[in-house]
Amino acid sequence: MLKAMIKRALKKDDETVLITKTLLRLEQKDTSTKSRGNLVEDEALDWLKPRALIRPDDQEDVPEADLEEEVGRILTTINPQWVADEVAYHYGQGRFVTKAKPTYGKAYPLYIYQGTAIRKDSDEAKAQVAAGYGMVGFDDAGPKRAKVKKSAAEEEEEEEPEPENVPAEEAKPEEDVQDEEKPKEVIEEQEILKPEAIDEEAAADEGVEETTPEEKEEAEAQVEEKIEIKPRVKKLANQFNFCERAALTYNFPRRSVDTQTIPPPRANYGATVLQCIIFDYYQEDYAKKQREKEEEKPKRLRKKAAKHAKSAQQIHDEQLAQRIREAWTILERLVNQNIYDDIAQDYRYWDDPSDEFREGMGSLLPLWKFQFEPMRNHAVCDVQWNPHYQDLFAVAYGSLDFTQQQKQGCLCLYSIKNPAYPEYSVITDSPIICLDVFKETPYLICVGRYDGNVCVYNAQLTLESSYQYKSDSVRDKHSNIVWEIRWGARLIDGEASFFSISGDGRVVQWAVMPGELQATTIITLHSSVPPIPGPDGTLITVNSCGSCICFHPEKPDIFMVGTEDGMIHTCSLKYNRNYVRSVQGHHMPVYRIHYNYFNNSIYASCSGDWRVKIWEDGRDEPLFMFELGSPVGDVKWAPYSSTVFAACTADGKVYVYDLNVNKYRPICVQAVVSKKTKKLTRIDFNPRLPVVVCGDTKGTCHVVKLSPNLRVMCKPPKKAQGIDQRSLQIMKLDKLLSLVRDPPFQTGVVDEKFDDD
Amino acid sequence: MANEAEETVRKLSLHKGVVGVIVVNGEGIPIKTTLDNHVSVQYAGLMSALVDKAKAVVRDLDPSNDLTFLRIRSMKSEVMVAPDKDFILIVVQSPTD
Repeated sequence: MLKAMIKRALKKDDETVLITKTLLRLEQKDTSTKSRGNLVEDEALDWLKPRALIRPDDQEDVPEADLEEEVGRILTTINPQWVADEVAYHYGQGRFVTKAKPTYGKAYPLYIYQGTAIRKDSDEAKAQVAAGYGMVGFDDAGPKRAKVKKSAAEEEEEEEPEPENVPAEEAKPEEDVQDEEKPKEVIEEQEILKPEAIDEEAAADEGVEETTPEEKEEAEAQVEEKIEIKPRVKKLANQFNFCERAALTYNFPRRSVDTQTIPPPRANYGATVLQCIIFDYYQEDYAKKQREKEEEKPKRLRKKAAKHAKSAQQIHDEQLAQRIREAWTILERLVNQNIYDDIAQDYRYWDDPSDEFREGMGSLLPLWKFQFEPMRNHAVCDVQWNPHYQDLFAVAYGSLDFTQQQKQGCLCLYSIKNPAYPEYSVITDSPIICLDVFKETPYLICVGRYDGNVCVYNAQLTLESSYQYKSDSVRDKHSNIVWEIRWGARLIDGEASFFSISGDGRVVQWAVMPGELQATTIITLHSSVPPIPGPDGTLITVNSCGSCICFHPEKPDIFMVGTEDGMIHTCSLKYNRNYVRSVQGHHMPVYRIHYNYFNNSIYASCSGDWRVKIWEDGRDEPLFMFELGSPVGDVKWAPYSSTVFAACTADGKVYVYDLNVNKYRPICVQAVVSKKTKKLTRIDFNPRLPVVVCGDTKGTCHVVKLSPNLRVMCKPPKKAQGIDQRSLQIMKLDKLLSLVRDPPFQTGVVDEKFDDD
Repeated sequence: MANEAEETVRKLSLHKGVVGVIVVNGEGIPIKTTLDNHVSVQYAGLMSALVDKAKAVVRDLDPSNDLTFLRIRSMKSEVMVAPDKDFILIVVQSPTD
């Protein structure tokens, strides 16, 4: 900036030397002033040096030599932009005219202001001084003169020349002339006006400065002097005739007024401020603001909301109760963790090391025993792991001793985190025989009861409200024990539904409608026994009693029903009269039918006739048959292996078979309970953990861990390493089946009939 | 609710190794206990001070965090504390065997 200014100021050729000198000095100054940019040169501040130059990607690559090249810059006085002969169109003459060059060189006036000051050593000033005007006090020189001019109403004259100044470009020559003329005019005016002005000033002074008589006298004297006496030259303060003027005013005497007041009450307050306290206050404040915002809403809306909302106290109480409950639960778990610490370690990390030396044999490690004190004399009628929470299982307490039937039952949910007490327990007025946990919402549990009713329990609700849905005891409950209950697919309208099978020979579908259960009889199991005459002679058709039900894993309308006379019927939801297929599976009640997890055509059944049979769809003879020497309460396929299944018997033993290891003998037989007092009723594999839960007739659930030999996984063959475990398991079972199948496999009846639709 | 609490306290105190269960209200006064009175008062007083301090530690490290449980293992016993702004539950358990 400064350089440019200098350049502009000094134009003449002979001053070029001076310019270069000045520029040189400025440059030196520039380098000496340290900005962050040139700190690099400073060695003391070496640490600040940037590591490398950051170049933009698109920077042109210039060779080093070119960079080094010095480019000389020359400073000249010639303006390259200067046009010697400028031409402009003259509208008045209607042709192009050469623009006249301004006489003052290349300077270009943008604005011209006619000042009132004149140089002291100029001719006019000398003339004025000579005329005695230099005698005028400095106070009166500038402003007053202007004031007078205005009051004299000669502003018009003053304004007139100004518009001529504005079109400066075209009227330069004239302007110059005007410029020269104007000051003269002004001076003339001033000369004329001066005496008047002085008079007026004096008058004004008299008016204003009454309080200072000395000054007034002085001024008067001056005026008189000016008028009468020949002026004498007075020393001016500066060449522009400016001067300051001041007036002294009275100082008011100071005084102070004060009043004594009663001091406001004070109290000492102290508190520790922590970050969390500040945070809390902010949260509180935010909540308050939200509430205020809410209150601003129209009243109508608020009332509506208020109707549904509970009172603050109620909400607080509920929350407190919930918090206390949770706190107790966790405390209880902590206590249990201390008590059962060794078992908890075993359950996760201990594997029976002796398995390595026993080829093809395994063992069961007892972990916890779950017991609910009020249910000491009840039997565990059903037990099922929760499909969602791997450490939770549901237990149905009922009774299998039909001569001394219990009056009550119980539904419990146990967590292995708390073996001492169930997480959820609800006592029912009738023994519970079976249950099923809904896979979609694992807190909904449907149960079948001894009195023929079915209920749906919601484990999320508090214990006071026992069941969420219950079948109508009068209208549509079963007329016999509900032996098995299974959740089915959702209906077309989206309602959940479940199926129950009962001793009265009916399979009923229950749709969970809002507030009620709607029953639909799917099939009535007719017996092959001919109608028998009743006491009054009428013929009564006998239904066969259903004892278990099992749905096909993939086809939701195919299900299998086991009866008390040992029949296994394959049924369809589409046919309510006939069976799709019937097999005389057993000679005693069928207690369980269970599909293999890996092959949908393989299922296992167990019965009171001491036998476990493995069936294939469409085959009348079982593929495998095992005799366990005691009524078999339950059989379940393992979820982790296609060839492993477990059964529990009435003499308190758990049998584990792996058909791949041994087709004839179990790989593990272990007595879990004493056979004198207790019987095992039900068994269930945990879907994810290597543990099995089995229930006995004295209300105890035993959780046992499978030793490594009982859960051998398939090793992929060397040729195909990438195959996942599931397809390996399927291949393993297929290979086994191909060895066992006596006649070549024919498509089962089920497949024949339903592949078309 | 009162019934439920009663039942829970009874249930917990029946567990193996549990020496005592104390329920302390928001003011730090034991309102339910299975221990002797003076012992409970001592526990309540000391624990509420400790809980306040522990809570301050947790909250100061991260104001949106909060203390949920406190387990104090000592040579002779373990004290489990469930702190809340309206109550403190204390269970004292001695190691089994």
